[in-house]
Amino acid sequence: MRGGLSLYVEGNSLLHRAHPFTKGVLMLSAVALAFIVPSALWVAGILVVLLILGTVAGLSRRLVTGAVAVVVPLSLLIFAVQGFANPANRTVVFALGPIVYYKEGLAFAGFVVLRIACLVVATFLFSFTTRPADISEALMQSGLSPSMGYVLQSALQIIPQTLDMAVRIQDAQRSRGLETEGPLHRRARAYLPLMLPLVLSSLLATQERAMALEVRGFGLSVKRQSRYVFADSTPQRVTRWLMALAPPAAVVARVAGWQ
Amino acid sequence: MTEPALIFDKVGYAYEESPREAVSDISFSVDPGEWVGVTGPTNAGKSTLCLLAIGLAPHFFAGTLRGTVTALGKDSRSIKVIERSTDVGLLFQNPFTQISGARERVDDEVAFGPECHGVARAEVVERVDEAMRLVGISELAARNPLDLSGGQLQRLALAGLLAMRPRVLLLDEPTSQLDPAGTAAIFEVLANLHSMGTTIVMVEHRLEALCELCPRIIAMAAGRIIADGAPADVFNDDAVISKVGQPVFARLAREAGVTGPWPVQFQGAVSAFERARA
Repeated sequence: MRGGLSLYVEGNSLLHRAHPFTKGVLMLSAVALAFIVPSALWVAGILVVLLILGTVAGLSRRLVTGAVAVVVPLSLLIFAVQGFANPANRTVVFALGPIVYYKEGLAFAGFVVLRIACLVVATFLFSFTTRPADISEALMQSGLSPSMGYVLQSALQIIPQTLDMAVRIQDAQRSRGLETEGPLHRRARAYLPLMLPLVLSSLLATQERAMALEVRGFGLSVKRQSRYVFADSTPQRVTRWLMALAPPAAVVARVAGWQ
Repeated sequence: MTEPALIFDKVGYAYEESPREAVSDISFSVDPGEWVGVTGPTNAGKSTLCLLAIGLAPHFFAGTLRGTVTALGKDSRSIKVIERSTDVGLLFQNPFTQISGARERVDDEVAFGPECHGVARAEVVERVDEAMRLVGISELAARNPLDLSGGQLQRLALAGLLAMRPRVLLLDEPTSQLDPAGTAAIFEVLANLHSMGTTIVMVEHRLEALCELCPRIIAMAAGRIIADGAPADVFNDDAVISKVGQPVFARLAREAGVTGPWPVQFQGAVSAFERARA
């Protein structure tokens, strides 16, 4: 069976150990700032800070590989379109036959790509250093109901579980002679014999799991106690507030004329 | 005199909208620290027995209950399953559906039950360590439960129950989906728990294992108890032989012309064959 969809990478860096809210605010603030600041230089600065944090967390290689895989195909498309079709295009840089590329469009594309890179790197940094379960656990420790926390925690786990069940049913059907490969109409015909047992198995599994949860006391009307508490020091809380206030401050600065 | 851990008194139970009872006229008691094996053919009512013992029937499955089921002095009608979950634990057949499906680490999964019960943090940590050690999965603490094998997953499910520190453990064919190594590991854990005083009621189809492990066997057929006693007595009973069968040692001895009562355990079989040869 495959594990969950988590991208978490085991580690013990400062970022790994930080409160999930701190990392969440860091990610959101970095992304928001990347889209608020007026110049590519500022965006590049944010990207560098994120990459330094990733390097300190021992994730530089994974971070760069992941970001390149996502950003490069997108950036090729953005450069191709903006360099050619941006309404602000004036200064010709080069021409590919009838298609002319302009300095203004390419510069704008570079700016957009940097912003996207910030978004991707910040998201990866958060995902690599934070277990999804830790986010819901932190939310529960902050007052979210255990039922809601369970829904959040199980959401990511249920996909690989269902996929695994589907593969097992497909294998079983195949061993009985059902053709699941080949042309589209043949695969479509194999869909029903797969879906029916999948739905029935899921319903049965849900009933059994509901019993198992009850046997373990899930839903008991006592205050739930977590096995661990996330360290949330005063410096972390201050940092979080500062990071949370940075985007609104940047918006105010932009309105006030920051160019 | 010590109060029995589990009492079934003239119990009958019919699932909702079912025309007939799944179990009828069931009466027996289990003393604290006993290890009782329950066996029987399909539809004998073994799983229903477990559901009744913990109270899932009739609290989870609506239905009609006759008689009384008392676990650790509490009538199943008067207490919800969730409220007795620290006293009585139930392990199902399928280990996959017993994990919460919400935890990404084995140790977090084991902590699920005690956390739900609001057990103090330090004690949760202690219980998790103890339960994982008891079932031998301490080295898997950081793994994702979904990455475990069937045997490991069943041990994890058992650890999750043990972390609640139940005094009565009900096991509904806990090894039916496991390979021989996984089965042996689970039986070893159970033997250890039994030696520590846990009351165990185990539904099992492997008659040889039942005879080796359980000092007392209850045989069921068509929703009724047809025999209750020591393994050698139960599996030499004609009704049990015709409806449930016999362990392989007894069948071999019978086929070889050894006179009854036939041996039901390995050592007994060795002695019986030696006597026959002499």
